[in-house]
Amino acid sequence: MDPSKTPKTILEARNLGFQYEGAEARALRGVNFGVERGEFVLLAGPSGCGKTTLCRCLNGLIPHFYPGVQEGEILVDGSNVTSMPTSEVSRKVGYVFQNPENQLFALTVEKDVAFGPENLGLPRSEIRERVDWAMGITGTTELKNLAPYELSGGQQQRVALAGILAMKPSVVVMDEPTSFLDPVTAEEVMKAVDDLRLEHGITVIVVEHRLDLVSRYADRIIVMDSGKVVADGTVQDVLDGQFDQLTGLGVGVPRVSQLWAMLKRDGLVSGQTPKVVEAAAEKLGGKLST
Amino acid sequence: MSRSFVTLRSLEGFKFYGRKTIVHNLDPRAKALFITTVFVVSLLFTNLYVLLGLLIVHVPFLLAAGVLRRWVYSIRAGALLAGIIFFANLLTGSGVLPALALTVRFLVLLTTFSLFFMTTSPDDLGLALDRVGLVRWLSRRWLGFPNALSFTFTTAVRLVPTLAVDAQTVIDAQRSRGLELDKGNILRRIRNYVPILIPLLLVAIRRSLELAEALEARGFPGREDRTSLYELRFKASDYLLVLGSSTVLAVSMWIFVIHPVLRLPF
Repeated sequence: MDPSKTPKTILEARNLGFQYEGAEARALRGVNFGVERGEFVLLAGPSGCGKTTLCRCLNGLIPHFYPGVQEGEILVDGSNVTSMPTSEVSRKVGYVFQNPENQLFALTVEKDVAFGPENLGLPRSEIRERVDWAMGITGTTELKNLAPYELSGGQQQRVALAGILAMKPSVVVMDEPTSFLDPVTAEEVMKAVDDLRLEHGITVIVVEHRLDLVSRYADRIIVMDSGKVVADGTVQDVLDGQFDQLTGLGVGVPRVSQLWAMLKRDGLVSGQTPKVVEAAAEKLGGKLST
Repeated sequence: MSRSFVTLRSLEGFKFYGRKTIVHNLDPRAKALFITTVFVVSLLFTNLYVLLGLLIVHVPFLLAAGVLRRWVYSIRAGALLAGIIFFANLLTGSGVLPALALTVRFLVLLTTFSLFFMTTSPDDLGLALDRVGLVRWLSRRWLGFPNALSFTFTTAVRLVPTLAVDAQTVIDAQRSRGLELDKGNILRRIRNYVPILIPLLLVAIRRSLELAEALEARGFPGREDRTSLYELRFKASDYLLVLGSSTVLAVSMWIFVIHPVLRLPF
């Protein structure tokens, strides 16, 4: 394909629905959205809203791994995920799971990062190159001879990310990648992911309840409830327009936005809801000095 | 408390520690031939001196690998069993020398396995298993793809420390709810462990499901011609060990067949 003609949309869900075998209700209903190359998308919503199910559809775990009835389709880079074998999908969509400890298989970091490329049957020189690259950009090179259980949670999650990146996917899906991490490490991991997107043009989809952690980086937020998309837009627009709906769903909106909403209710401030502390400080600073 | 300490210590005698000595660097396949030789020879002969000789052969290896101290732990762990073997044979009237010979045979087997596992990285062992045609064939027959068995082996080793942490968590949780593990007679004590085993089993099953998902995401099982970052290669020392082991093996078999007199031990 001529690179100048590469379509902007990397990922597309068309009227996607899914019902797990034996479940009473559908986990996903009529989900439609498209994601552009290099976008940082935040996926939020209450527990059981279908976020994880959606992620599983994106990398082909549904319907290959979880039995059930699927409707609609998911296109990655123009091809239908459902009809691709999972090993093929794993080259396009990388999936980083919640618990870092359950995604490391080898006895050293280096061999674990090599695991994916080995499965792809790549030549040794190419594996070497990818492993060194992936460990380099996730800052795990110094850990290469350590065993998984010798690593801290943050280090494990970085290694898990390196293992996915070594497969050179165009999209990385992360399902609550920070839930096993302390706030500082979580912040570091999100920063690393954002750098990756900016420098390597990788599309990032992150499931996260705590918007505080990601609102700084995300271009866009998709909010789900009961298997449907209930909000989709830039983080700024959704915070401005659907703030009450978000808090109603129990989405952990940034604390600074909450503060803003309270001040606004009392008529102390007005205008756009800030999504990061710096923006709020700037606006409030102006207010306080007058 | 002291009891669990002793158990852990004795396991040290079989646990791999990553070091780079000439013994650690030997190819697992060459080492496997070595332990097979020791195994076969020690079963062919009941002569005390042959068996003592086999035991002494291990000393330079233990020294070169720097694992002498940890080997002592494994011997200490086997001491009780060795004692039982000795006295059982003595009491059934085999005489002191044969009883001693059988005890030494046990120690030889213990030593050779201990040496193998202390100095062979499970990763290398997995790679070696992946190279054995029989393992690949069985693996394909039973599990559908050729590297399933070697993968199962390395993953099992990888998960031991993780499951140990899980077990400790479950034990702590049940103790904090008043479970008393060290109470009652031996049967009672075994039964005390049921509330530990059931949650532990559930945790392990759940973990295995998550591992399976993550495997899918990494393109496992991959292709028939799956490659690997590292490759096992025979070095001069490996050829030497293979040559030595196979010579000893061949000579022992020959002696066993044509000089049965040496079989008569003492």
